[in-house]
Amino acid sequence: MNEGRNSPGKNMMATYDFLFDSLGLRGWCGEDAGGLSSMADLLGQTSDKEVSVSAWDTPFPSLDALHDACYAIPQSRELTLGLERGFLEIKDGLKIVVDPITQPLSWALNNALWVMQVVPWWIMIPALMLIVWFVGRSFKLVGLVAAVFSFLAFVDYYDYTMQTLAIIFVCAIICVLLGVPIGIAMSRSDRVQRVMIPILDMLQTLPPFVYLIPLIFLFSVTEPKLYGIAIILYAIVPVVRLTDLGIRLVDKEVIEAADAFGMTTRQKLLRVEIPLALPNIMAGVNQTIMMSLAMVVIASLVSAPGLGVLVLRGIRNLELGVGLLSGLGIVLLAIILDRVTKAALARINAQ
Amino acid sequence: MTEQNTPKISVRGLYKIFGQDPQTALARVKDGMTKAELLSETNHVLGLNDINVDMPRGKTTVIMGLSGSGKSTLIRHLNRLIEPTAGEVLVEGENILAYSEKQLRDLRQHRMSMVFQKFALLPHRSVLENAGLAPSVDGKSKRQYEAEATKWLDRVGLEGQGNQYPAQLSGGMQQRVGIARALTSNSNIMLMDEAFSALDPLIRTDMQNLLIDLQGELQKTVVFITHDLDEALKLADHLVILKEGFVVQQGEPQQILMNPNDPYIEDFVADINRARVLRVRSVMEKTDVAPIEAAGDVDHDATLESLIAASGGDTTLRYRVTRNGAQVGVLHMRTLVRALVPTGGAEGVALAQTDA
Repeated sequence: MNEGRNSPGKNMMATYDFLFDSLGLRGWCGEDAGGLSSMADLLGQTSDKEVSVSAWDTPFPSLDALHDACYAIPQSRELTLGLERGFLEIKDGLKIVVDPITQPLSWALNNALWVMQVVPWWIMIPALMLIVWFVGRSFKLVGLVAAVFSFLAFVDYYDYTMQTLAIIFVCAIICVLLGVPIGIAMSRSDRVQRVMIPILDMLQTLPPFVYLIPLIFLFSVTEPKLYGIAIILYAIVPVVRLTDLGIRLVDKEVIEAADAFGMTTRQKLLRVEIPLALPNIMAGVNQTIMMSLAMVVIASLVSAPGLGVLVLRGIRNLELGVGLLSGLGIVLLAIILDRVTKAALARINAQ
Repeated sequence: MTEQNTPKISVRGLYKIFGQDPQTALARVKDGMTKAELLSETNHVLGLNDINVDMPRGKTTVIMGLSGSGKSTLIRHLNRLIEPTAGEVLVEGENILAYSEKQLRDLRQHRMSMVFQKFALLPHRSVLENAGLAPSVDGKSKRQYEAEATKWLDRVGLEGQGNQYPAQLSGGMQQRVGIARALTSNSNIMLMDEAFSALDPLIRTDMQNLLIDLQGELQKTVVFITHDLDEALKLADHLVILKEGFVVQQGEPQQILMNPNDPYIEDFVADINRARVLRVRSVMEKTDVAPIEAAGDVDHDATLESLIAASGGDTTLRYRVTRNGAQVGVLHMRTLVRALVPTGGAEGVALAQTDA
């Protein structure tokens, strides 16, 4: 800790005074208007030590360092506050637009949650097994699904599991409904692709927690769309990317043949490009489902129900057993979602 | 009969230049700039340079050239998979470059079909569905086109394979599906882009024979692209030889073989088995006078190879050449032997001297 040494107070010399003096901006800088002072400032004031800044300790000319020399320069804290104020100002306008558009998401999530919980387990588990049979045509897979759900129900996590599953179903379906057309548009136009790639990169690398912050400001925590949007934004990326890639990778000769036999653009898309891109699109759907599962756990911070709530309880109350068991439940869920989508993919590839 | 004699497809003054600003480059090419100069000075590629070809109705036109000669570019202009920089493509007298989107689709669906080098079948459709591509594009259901598609699949030798998928078939069989697909469209024009180049030699010969048989029955206007002179000579009624985007020589194959007008073609011709390709009519002496001591009769369309076999290699014999039983000429075996040496013999000597 070297506080005070290189954080001069009001009456002391600041490192970058020379800059404003030599540029003749001293008058513009003005006196300290009693702006926010940092902890370091206060500590600097109380210390009576002689201030001597060695070259080694020269601070970076950051907002705070410059503010010390010239009060007209805002502190970095004012920047973040400014961002916050700016967001709050556009919030109402944004809400008018975003609210009605996303309302169906709340509706879908509410209904899915309701259905998954209202249907008794002795209908739901066989129904899920039936779906898995239709998708994967594998008894082994059906057995795995039955075992996983029975285990989770046995440890009384059935309701949580169904909530998580309901959210994943809704979000993954919406991701596909939005992502595939976006991917198609990207494959059609290099310009759309150039615009979309940085956006997708950003969505993919932004820490998932960061999505939640602006959404909390926009929507009330009681609305399911709050976490729905966060999950969709996070999970939509792979299906968009792989749809684009899949269509671009379709054999040029086959496209040429489709043209040579007089197909319209629409026929080409539906009969050639999408069928041939389907293995890639399905790989994207698989990734999308896995990412929505990852996000649904984080989204429990903003009231998403499901297994994530148990994980959170484990952290908050230091209930180690609950945390571990719910973590295991998430892993099991991930395994069956992955296996089932992979089985569907394998069936498509086999054709 | 004029209907029959007019060419089915005519290409007039066709230019294709690849690059940023083809029109400016076109003006420079018309001023006499060569392909190499154009590439180095303006970074434009001259694909096709003033192509004028008439493709006769009901016959096979073979466009031959080495890779990069522009032959695949040329065939793609015939159904406008590539748009030209300048020129006209007339199909049945209509300039297809003036066609609307809809007319063009009609041309591709009903009047022209195409066979591709790498087959370009739809992997997710069965053989039958692939063969029925043209009618299905037209909105017909599988039930409606099944009979037609099956008929052509049977004709190309794929009886009972309709429910297979392309990946389950060998290359030769896949190309049979490609040909059945083209035939099922019932178009009068078939474009074949190096259709047999990807097949191994024995299967290639089979496919060539299949095409010749089909042509005997159907008399479609076939435009066939190849880089193989033997294949070209076997199939062609009309042969067009391309080099670096322009037509070096075109005409009846035997004519080109006997009178190559360019060293490039002579090089090509030097490597082939002339006895197998040349016909008696190309080397005979035209005369009505019956020869003395004729060893026998020979049809004017017989290959020299078959005559050598018939003569037992005796170069003293003379043969009476007939067409439909009537004499059209006389062939002395010595003339035949001389014809087996390429005409560029004198140049060959000159080359030998410079080598020494």
